[in-house]
Amino acid sequence: MTDAPAAEEVLLRCEHLSVRRGESEVVRDVSAELHVGELVALLGPNGAGKSTLLDALGGVLAPAQGRVERHGRVAIALQAPDLARRSVLANVTLALAWWGVPRPEREERAHEALRTMGADHLAERPAWALSGGERRRVHLARVIALRPDILMLDEPFAGLDPESRTNLLEDAVSVLRSPTRTTLVVVHDRAEAWALADRLFILIAGELVAVGPPRELLEHPPSIVVARFLGFDGSLEDGAELLLTRASHVILDPAGPLRAEVAHAVPLEDGVRLELELDGGRGRLYAVAPLPAPRPGDSVRLRVEGGARFPRQVADDAVAAV
Amino acid sequence: MHLLWEVLKGAVPLILHGNPYLLSIIWFTIQVAAVATAIAAVAGLPIGLAIGLGRFRGRRGLQLLANASLGMPPVLVGLFLYMIWVPQAPLGSLHLIWTKRAVFIAQTVLALPYIVALTAAAIQGLPPGLLAQARALGAGRRQLWTLALREARVGVLAAVIAALGSALAEVGAIVIVGGNIYGFDQTLASAALYEANAAHYEDSVAIGIVLIVLILLLMGGLGALQQRGSGIRMRFHPTT
Repeated sequence: MTDAPAAEEVLLRCEHLSVRRGESEVVRDVSAELHVGELVALLGPNGAGKSTLLDALGGVLAPAQGRVERHGRVAIALQAPDLARRSVLANVTLALAWWGVPRPEREERAHEALRTMGADHLAERPAWALSGGERRRVHLARVIALRPDILMLDEPFAGLDPESRTNLLEDAVSVLRSPTRTTLVVVHDRAEAWALADRLFILIAGELVAVGPPRELLEHPPSIVVARFLGFDGSLEDGAELLLTRASHVILDPAGPLRAEVAHAVPLEDGVRLELELDGGRGRLYAVAPLPAPRPGDSVRLRVEGGARFPRQVADDAVAAV
Repeated sequence: MHLLWEVLKGAVPLILHGNPYLLSIIWFTIQVAAVATAIAAVAGLPIGLAIGLGRFRGRRGLQLLANASLGMPPVLVGLFLYMIWVPQAPLGSLHLIWTKRAVFIAQTVLALPYIVALTAAAIQGLPPGLLAQARALGAGRRQLWTLALREARVGVLAAVIAALGSALAEVGAIVIVGGNIYGFDQTLASAALYEANAAHYEDSVAIGIVLIVLILLLMGGLGALQQRGSGIRMRFHPTT
C-alpha cells in the first residue's frame, strides 16, 4: 500500500485500462499517472465515461482490462451529495467512522474540515435544512476530513446556481491542492477546469485524447477533436491547412485582410457574439464584438490572431470519422 | 340500527365488569402480538435489509415472495400449518395442534412478510448516493446496515406497525391451528369471532370494543415514536 510514493512521486498509475458497464466498453485503453501535489481535472462531454473512469481509478469498479496501481488510500466523493438525516457534524464524523478513524479524533477532524470548507457554522444544522451550495460544501468537507492520499471528486460543483458555484470554486481552489496528496476532479464545465487544474485529462468517447497543462492544450491542441472540444468553434481554410479559432482569436478590424458577412448575432452580457460567414466559402468564424456591434447581413473586415493549424487532409479524415 | 344500539348498551357493562375471562384474553392477545411482532422483526429485519441493500442472486425473487405473502389469506396459512402439524405429518411429533404455541407461531408467520417487504421497500427508497458513498469510503457491513436502518427508520417503524396490526387482528390462521378453545388460546379477535358464531352479540361487540381500544393504544404509541424518528433530536436554531 505505501511502498515509498515519494521516490517517484506517482500516487496512481493506470495502464491500458478498459472499463465496461454492462455490455458496452465505456472506457478504452487509458494510460495515465497522477503525481503527488498536483490537481488534475478530468474533462469531457456528457457520456464520455468520466464517472466510469473515476470509479475504476478509485477502485469502485473493476477494470475489464489493464491495471490500476495505487500508492495510498483513495477517497471518492460521488456526484450526488446525499447526506444522512442527521446533523452536519454527524455526517462528517460518520464518514470518519467509515474510513476507520478512531472515535476520539473524529469530532476535531470534522470541525477542522468544515472550517476549511467554510461550513463550520453549519455544524449543528440538520443536513436536510441545507441549501444546494451548503450541501456541496459538507459533501467536500466529508472527504477532506479523511486526509486521503488520493482524492477523487465527481463533479463537485454540479447543479449549483452561478453565484454559489463561483463562491465554492474560489474556496475549493486552495483547499483541494495539497502537497501531500493528488487530486482528480471530474468537471463538466471548461471554466472550472481552467480555474482549478494543473493538468487536464480530456476524455472523449471513452478515450483519453489529450493530457497536459490547460494553457498548453489551449495553445497547441493536439488534434482537431480536442480543439473543437476546447471551444475552437471557428474554422478557416488556408491553403493546405485548416485554421481553427476561438472567439478571442477573431478580431474585427476595418483594415483586416479577411471579409465576412454577419450571419447571426447573439447578445451577450458584454457584447454580441457574431457568426461570420467568410467570403468565398472559406469557412465560418465566431467572434465577440463590443457594442455597438454589426447586425446580421452587414459586411465586416477582420483579422485572425492565434488559433490552431492542422493539415486539411487530417481534417477531412476527422470529419469523415465523425 | 336498533339492534346495534341494544348490543352496545349490553356490551358496556360487560367491559366495565372486568371479568377474569376477558382479562385473560386481553393478556394473551398482548402476549401473542408482542412475541409475534418481536420474532418477526428479529428474523425479518435482516432479510429486509439484505433485499434492500444487497446485490445477490435471487433478491428479486425473495422480494416478490415477500410482497406476494402480504396478500396471502391467513386461512390458507393456517391450513398449511395444520397440514404439516397433524400427528401423521412430518412435524406431527411436535404436538403443536390446538396449543398456545401454535397461535404464537401462526401469528409470527403472518407478521413476517410485513416486516420483510416494508423494510426492503423503505431501504430501497433511500437516496442511492448516500449508501454508495458510504461503501466508497470504506464502510463495513455493520456500518452500512446501521446507516440504512437509521435512515429508513420511519419506514421500518411502519413495517413494525403493520406487523403488530396483523398480529392483533388476524383470526383466520389461529382458529384453525389453535382451535379457538374457549378461555384457553383465544385472542380478542378470535374470541369475538367465537361469541358471534354463538350469537352472543353483546359479548362479541364488547370484546371488539376492547380490541379496538388496545389497537389504538399500541398504534398510538408506535406512531408517536415514528413521528419523533422523522425529525432529528438536536438543537436547531435556523437564525444562527
